[in-house]
Amino acid sequence: MSSRTDVLLWARRITGMKKAAAHQLLEIPADAGADVAQEAFHKIARMAHPDLHRGLEAEDVELITTAYAMIANAYQSIRTQRMATSRMPKIEASDGASPPPGPVPVTPSGASGVATGVAGAMSSKALIYYRKAELCLKRGDLRGAMLQLKMAIGTDPGSTFLRTALHEVEAEVRKGP
Amino acid sequence: MAIALGIDLGTTNSCAAVATPTGVEFILGSRAERVHPSIVAFPGSGGVVVGADAKRYRLTEPMNVIHSAKRFIGQNIRAPLVQLALTGIRYKVTEGPNQQPIVTVRDRRMTMPEISSHVLLYLKRCAERQLGNAISDAVITVPANFTDAQRTATKEAGRLAGLNVARLINEPTAAALAYGFGRNQDQLICVFDFGGGTFDVSILRINGEVFEVLASDGDFFLGGDDLDRALAEVLAAECSRHLNFDPRQSPVLMMKLMMGAEAIKCHLSENDAAEGEIDGIDLPNGQVGSLPFSLTRQQFEELIGGYINRTIEVTKQVIQQAGLQASSISDILCVGGSTRIPSVRQRLAEVFRREPNISINPDEVVAQGAAIQAGSLSGSIIAGSGMATRDAVVTQAHSPLLYGGAKPQTALVRPVLLDVNPSTLAIQTAGGYAERLLDKNAPIPIERSRVFTTARDNQTRVEIDCCRGESRRYSENEPLGKLILEELPAKPRGDLKIEVSFRVDADGILHVRAADVESGQRQEAALHVIGAPAEQA
Repeated sequence: MSSRTDVLLWARRITGMKKAAAHQLLEIPADAGADVAQEAFHKIARMAHPDLHRGLEAEDVELITTAYAMIANAYQSIRTQRMATSRMPKIEASDGASPPPGPVPVTPSGASGVATGVAGAMSSKALIYYRKAELCLKRGDLRGAMLQLKMAIGTDPGSTFLRTALHEVEAEVRKGP
Repeated sequence: MAIALGIDLGTTNSCAAVATPTGVEFILGSRAERVHPSIVAFPGSGGVVVGADAKRYRLTEPMNVIHSAKRFIGQNIRAPLVQLALTGIRYKVTEGPNQQPIVTVRDRRMTMPEISSHVLLYLKRCAERQLGNAISDAVITVPANFTDAQRTATKEAGRLAGLNVARLINEPTAAALAYGFGRNQDQLICVFDFGGGTFDVSILRINGEVFEVLASDGDFFLGGDDLDRALAEVLAAECSRHLNFDPRQSPVLMMKLMMGAEAIKCHLSENDAAEGEIDGIDLPNGQVGSLPFSLTRQQFEELIGGYINRTIEVTKQVIQQAGLQASSISDILCVGGSTRIPSVRQRLAEVFRREPNISINPDEVVAQGAAIQAGSLSGSIIAGSGMATRDAVVTQAHSPLLYGGAKPQTALVRPVLLDVNPSTLAIQTAGGYAERLLDKNAPIPIERSRVFTTARDNQTRVEIDCCRGESRRYSENEPLGKLILEELPAKPRGDLKIEVSFRVDADGILHVRAADVESGQRQEAALHVIGAPAEQA
């Protein structure tokens, strides 16, 4: 079992790795499977779960909790990724037909017509592509906008907003001139 | 030395225990009962009566007897399911500040946490009497799918009872802990927890002392109460037919039928048929009548079939969410009184193709798990009084905790509970979408932040609406609360970067922060929770 100093050193190192990829935080190979990630997660939990360090100073508990919460997030992202990829072949295997298209949400018209509150959730990189897509739309270049939106989704696959925007532009393209 | 109590605060019954070197010791009531009805009575003669003694007021003063408070704790009174549940109770509930339900009994207005705190205080006093020691800390269990507001309100109940709530743990996880601690095995189990008011199912991997919840789901409006109610409705219809009057107008009579229904239900778990009469029914003409009934187990199973189907459907979904096959589960734990119903066990056996484990006591196993976690967190295993030491499930659970304390050279083995966030947490973005921050079944404690941007030019105020639920549309999810960032620098849309962080702590409670990243001055705001009691300063 690690000493408390080891745990604190580990926590300080992890909290300094804000931009690191999930596998780097868990200290496993980039192509490791979900089972490897799970073992790594359990190993870290045995050492650094905040419940095991309740007696420490509040500041140290916070440090360990922050590091642990980052690990939990890293594990979750690897787990969902691996589960998604392991499910993919099953959809294709169903009598060779392509999977049914997802539901297209109804939105106020125009992909760039964002209205209230917080705008599209996306990473700053995705935002650059999104801005380019907006420019394309202004020029009436729907296919160009589609390409830029796809690039944006590539950098931020989790964004519902971007996917919806793409759906809308695709619908426009289908309507055709 | 701080003594920590493990408490299973149930809808119909509660149970408490402490960890001792030889096993957990259950806290007994005045009649040596281990299981205490979660009933709080405010009789006309004055005072507050809790537990088994409060039961007898149900027939004499149904308006003054508060039961099933757990169904309303931390709830928004305007929610449709809450409104439906309100039709089944005889005491008075009205809307209070922040849309929380308020109970009025004999001109006293009380919040739901106040009601639950009476149950907790009762257990605390019983424990202090039994152990001869002051109780300061507690681990309280909650249904796995309890929301943020429900958890916060439960903690508040603990605080009002003078308890420091060391941790809220999920009921199925507590049951798994009682079952698996000290076994030192690597296995996959399913905990099927069908109690008086709530239903939960969790899939866990037990890996030595690590208990990882892989997936969990449930329904906090599905339990034995609903089965009783379905049967009571049938009895009420019978009553109309036989005695020529509708008992639904009379609170006392409906309570009597509910109690009769519960007794018939329990009888049918052991026998193929139930036959008899419910006596003492006061008729409008002043006479006292009796209602004969005759019901076979098969008829009862047909009546409750819809509810059972729902539990089985959820179970199948959870197996899928865990990414597993039913055949890879090596044991199925039946927790909660409603799992005594034979058709529930039979349906489970069909899903998993193996008999569920019935060697554990479904009423006590959750409190046992809570007691083990309480002992582990507080680092105190007490000698106990030796009065009621008997485990609900046989384990060697306590020896590792004890050796840790008694022999410093032996490594202290403490359980590590890796629980999950019960439903997807998201914020509203332009166009009414729910942008997901934290997934359902993500391990907790967890933190995730994402950068958002403004939708309009020169927008200086941003409202961040938080919700829980699986829909991609914000309006189809359950709103949690709102966070407002003001006096932001005026910038063209898309230029302002706002970092929103969601952290779910080990109690399953959400903390939201939002900050303007670039201005350097981290403007932060806290979440205003709907339905919860007013924030404590």
